[in-house]
Amino acid sequence: MLGALLTSSLTRVIPIGMMLLALQKTLFVELQPFGVIIQIVLAFAAAAGAAGGPERGAITGFALGIMFDLAVGSPLGSTSITMGIAGYVAGWVDLIRIETTWWLAALFVGVGAGIGEACVPVVRRFIGEEDAFVPEMAKIVPVVAIAAAASSVLLVPLARWALKLERPEWKMPADG
Amino acid sequence: MAIYSAGRRRTMIILLLSSVLLITLDLRGNAVFNAARSGFEYALRPFEIAGDVITRPVSRMWHGMTDIDELEQENQRLQEQLDAQRSDQIAAQNALIENRDLRALLDLESLAAFDRVTASIIGSSPSNFDQRVEIDRGSLDGIRVGMPVINSAGLVGKITNVFPETAIVMLATDPQYHVPVKVVAEVRATPTTSVPDTVPSGLAVSDVTTTTSTTTTSTTSTSTTTTTTTTIPRPVDGAGNPIDPNLQGPPGATTSTSSTTTTTAVEMVEVTRETGELNGFGADRLPRVRFIADSPQFGRVAEGDAVLTAGGSLSLAPPDIPVGKVANVIQRAGTAGLELEVELNADLNRLIFLTVILYVPPTEAPALR
Repeated sequence: MLGALLTSSLTRVIPIGMMLLALQKTLFVELQPFGVIIQIVLAFAAAAGAAGGPERGAITGFALGIMFDLAVGSPLGSTSITMGIAGYVAGWVDLIRIETTWWLAALFVGVGAGIGEACVPVVRRFIGEEDAFVPEMAKIVPVVAIAAAASSVLLVPLARWALKLERPEWKMPADG
Repeated sequence: MAIYSAGRRRTMIILLLSSVLLITLDLRGNAVFNAARSGFEYALRPFEIAGDVITRPVSRMWHGMTDIDELEQENQRLQEQLDAQRSDQIAAQNALIENRDLRALLDLESLAAFDRVTASIIGSSPSNFDQRVEIDRGSLDGIRVGMPVINSAGLVGKITNVFPETAIVMLATDPQYHVPVKVVAEVRATPTTSVPDTVPSGLAVSDVTTTTSTTTTSTTSTSTTTTTTTTIPRPVDGAGNPIDPNLQGPPGATTSTSSTTTTTAVEMVEVTRETGELNGFGADRLPRVRFIADSPQFGRVAEGDAVLTAGGSLSLAPPDIPVGKVANVIQRAGTAGLELEVELNADLNRLIFLTVILYVPPTEAPALR
């Protein structure tokens, strides 16, 4: 299943990941609400989880993390863990409800991205970096999570297309 | 669908182990990964250029909305600083020339002796936990990992990753940044007043009563204006009789003289050095110098003292690169010693051009040959 997932989705995930990485390195390092860099690639990993479930989310996060590490120069595999966790956690939305509403997907994308971002210093400490925990964590994690939740309106459909998933019938809050 | 299933658990374990394996191989140094990074850098470049062109209006609009008040205040503050520093610049230039000449005389290593590469910044780290920027020069320009990076104000950071045409600079505020530094403090000795043995008339000073009314002292040179009121005794022989009543005035006569004397280097200036290790604490906090001995015999470190790189055979930076000045001295309990917060000379939030000093520590130089 792992191999099938990789081959079926990576042809679309990689180009989208490249574009999001380019946006991450240009636009989102400039726009810093409250001094925090919005993590759009991480949000996409979480959106992949919300769209396709924990396994697809984890695999997409793993692939995006490898690309992120290659582009940024951080130890290869370190961001794969955090993005994989983000995708996996966001994918739980598929497990607790069959018909996902947009706001529930947004909530899980936010939670997944927040947990993924919070895991970054944990992984860095694990690989031996000193002073990995910064005092601004209390500000970084919520801002990243809220931004990811807000961007999920665009990213979840994009992830669904990238993972070649069928479009579900979205339920608006008014529909109950 | 269950949260935990065998297939899902297997997938997660495989991904986790793959990540750990990749981290392990990468941290040990792997030529394949380095080549992959370089290749990915090339592949991503067109996306980045396109992204930059497309999103530039958005980022400009954002900065226009969020930065205008701050920029106006900063402009005013910088104007005031510029006025204050104009006078210092002349003295500093003179000191630089003297320093260079003296170093040349003593055959000492100086920053001017190393080749440099000027680069411009083409990107910043997209992570909230890294303080890094990307420059448009790489290994093709002679840049190697570890080389120090400066700007016109002082130390900025060091090179951590090198690609053929680009390189990553770790800023001095990054928690992973470490460099040996020294704290240089000027200690002004108490000005000494030298009293001549005799007054101009040839009499011993002990024989006259002197009252000094005004003394003005400046820092680099001393200009002394002295108004002296002198009561001169009549010269006497061994028996106490006057020798020549016409030579001097009547007993107890008072004369007033005023003289202005300008001397240089009257005030002693000593330099105290403490060494420690500077490391970053993130973008919003000042870097700190650790392992400073709080030893009074070397002089107390004080706020405002200059911080320079210490150099040394194992340091990745040559000596005497200006780093900043001590902003706060933190006393720690027990034998932990002092910790110093350092305000960097270089404003790391507004970097445009950087200079990479092509410096290789003496201990590593033979390996590169």
